[in-house]
Amino acid sequence: MVLLELRDITKRVGQELILKRVSLRVETGEFIAIIGPSGSGKSSLLYIMGLLDRPTSGTILYRNEIIEWKDAVINRLRNQKLGFVFQFHYLIPELNVLENVMAPQLKAGRSYGEAKERALELLTRLGLDAKSKRQVFEISGGEMQRVAIARALANNPEILLCDEPTGNLDTKNTQRVMEIFEELNQEGTTIVMVTHDMSLAERAKRVIEMRDGEIVADR
Amino acid sequence: MKAILFLSLAFLKKRKRQTIVSTLGFAISVTAFIVMSSIMFGFQKYFIQQVIDIEAHISIKPKEEIAEDRLIRRVDNESLIKALGSRPKEKDKILGWRDIMKRLEEHPEILGVAPHLESKGILKYGAKEKPVSLIGIEPFLEARTSVIERFLEKKNLSSLETHKDSIIIGKIVARDLGITETGKRVVLTLPNGQTKIMKVVDFFNSGITNIDASRVYIPLKTLQALLERVDEVNVLIIRIRDVKRAEALARELRAEIKYEVESWQKAYLNFLKIFKIQNMITYMIVFAIITVSAFGIFNIIMMTVMEKRKEIAILMAMGYSSKDITLIFLCIGLITSVLGGLLGFIFAYGILEYLANLDLELEGLLKSKGFILDRSPYYYLLGFVLSFLFSLIASLYPAYRASKLNPVEIFRSL
Ligand SMILES: Nc1ncnc2c1ncn2[C@@H]1O[C@H](COP(=O)(O)OP(=O)(O)OP(=O)(O)O)[C@@H](O)[C@H]1O
Ligand SMILES: [Mg+2]
Repeated sequence: MVLLELRDITKRVGQELILKRVSLRVETGEFIAIIGPSGSGKSSLLYIMGLLDRPTSGTILYRNEIIEWKDAVINRLRNQKLGFVFQFHYLIPELNVLENVMAPQLKAGRSYGEAKERALELLTRLGLDAKSKRQVFEISGGEMQRVAIARALANNPEILLCDEPTGNLDTKNTQRVMEIFEELNQEGTTIVMVTHDMSLAERAKRVIEMRDGEIVADR
Repeated sequence: MKAILFLSLAFLKKRKRQTIVSTLGFAISVTAFIVMSSIMFGFQKYFIQQVIDIEAHISIKPKEEIAEDRLIRRVDNESLIKALGSRPKEKDKILGWRDIMKRLEEHPEILGVAPHLESKGILKYGAKEKPVSLIGIEPFLEARTSVIERFLEKKNLSSLETHKDSIIIGKIVARDLGITETGKRVVLTLPNGQTKIMKVVDFFNSGITNIDASRVYIPLKTLQALLERVDEVNVLIIRIRDVKRAEALARELRAEIKYEVESWQKAYLNFLKIFKIQNMITYMIVFAIITVSAFGIFNIIMMTVMEKRKEIAILMAMGYSSKDITLIFLCIGLITSVLGGLLGFIFAYGILEYLANLDLELEGLLKSKGFILDRSPYYYLLGFVLSFLFSLIASLYPAYRASKLNPVEIFRSL
């Protein structure tokens, strides 16, 4: 089943074409790694797949339906179907660990109690239950990234989009995050991960290589 | 909405210092608004109420001579010298006042009419002298046309009826002459040189300084006799049902009566104008304070938006819409102003409570014990609404700016 499809996606920034008629199908349950040199357009592609950025031209389909670029539609998909993990954790320092994981759930309309319960469940799963009451700046970098993953998973997304999620982590934490992704993927979550690290890309089921705004290899 | 409150409260809670400072800003504005309104309107309403009670709602008096008018008219007729020489001085009296009174009393809006003979005089007590405004009254009629008895310390208006040499003097007149109790005898001297020994039967204490410092009441007949103006009066005072209608009614009466008809609003126009200016100045000050606190909240929210770009971007990535982001920052401003408003209520209540119990003698336009306050809840409501509106206006732009941030630009910039 095709979950997400890009058709002829072009992105122009000023005079520069940073994505050139890119087409791509993401099937349910895939684990895709996107690789390529710096500046090749990996992040740009991921932002478009995640509906964070609007393409200059081309069509995006979600479960075979063309996505209309309307605030209500986009925001609902971002909230319910997509999860993001970036290189930087982007945790909200005004919220504690638990509350950070609750934020997307409250937007989804869950009650405070339900959100709290689900957040605790996720944090426990990621080995962070003891840190749930901590402030964001009171935990380590690896822990912060795991909280960010918990937040991305909070509303049970169908696709997890990750832009160099281990870029700031040491080997031990990198391994831990990769294990989490593999486990999630086995349970059915589709994962798209941008990475520089070939050894990590090898662990994905499918590797897409980009160069100058184009997909040059897909295996 | 749950999510929005959750986030705005988190921002407010974690940025305590900013929250406290901006809350205090609004608290001070609301306090200033309530306290200043209560003092100002308390004073003004009291003043107007006293004026309405003591003074005629409408008075009828001989028209003032306007000499210039006549002069110019005569010059036009090329007989200037004659005009100067023969300028007739209209008599200072109302002709046929009994008929006018009778006619007026039939008017459904008029509660009562009373005749006055007003003149200047000098009161002497021992070595002290004081120029006064003399009013000759018919006590019975007077009581129907003003609430004069309310202001009499001994409620002894009827003495004027029974004793021809009775005099009621203003409290400040009494104080200036050194009279502290009734029964004292004073010498009244009139412009025509007549003098008479009068017995002080009561004091008149309205609180309005310029009235208490000059007014003196004596029996109408006594004054007529002293001035050798038998059965003459020069003012008719009218009390009406609805004081707000005074000016309209005066206009109506002007058509039928050839004398000057003046409403209390006209008579006190200068005071009412001063009040207007006073209100304007006070509100300008209060607005300045509110504006400063609004700028404060504007600044703080604007700074928060700039510092929180990353957080705004991730919220958008989580599915928070532009509207949600706008609302989060609006809520920060509005919650601050609501907290400030409530704190302002407490401050204002405390200050007014203190002022109300303050024991001090004030003497300006009004003489009073302590502050005369108008402690209407309306000022609380209005102050609250004002600060709410100001903070809404102040938060609108930063909140809008926050909602227009592009998350991708922010993610890229890191
Ligand atoms: N806002 C922008 N203005 C100008 N150029 C931009 C902008 N955004 C992206 N680009 C350009 O688009 C191209 C692709 O950028 P992108 O961030 O997608 O690359 P990337 O493959 O993710 O690189 P990296 O591995 O360094 O993260 C780059 O050449 C970049 O300079
Ligand atoms: Mg990148």
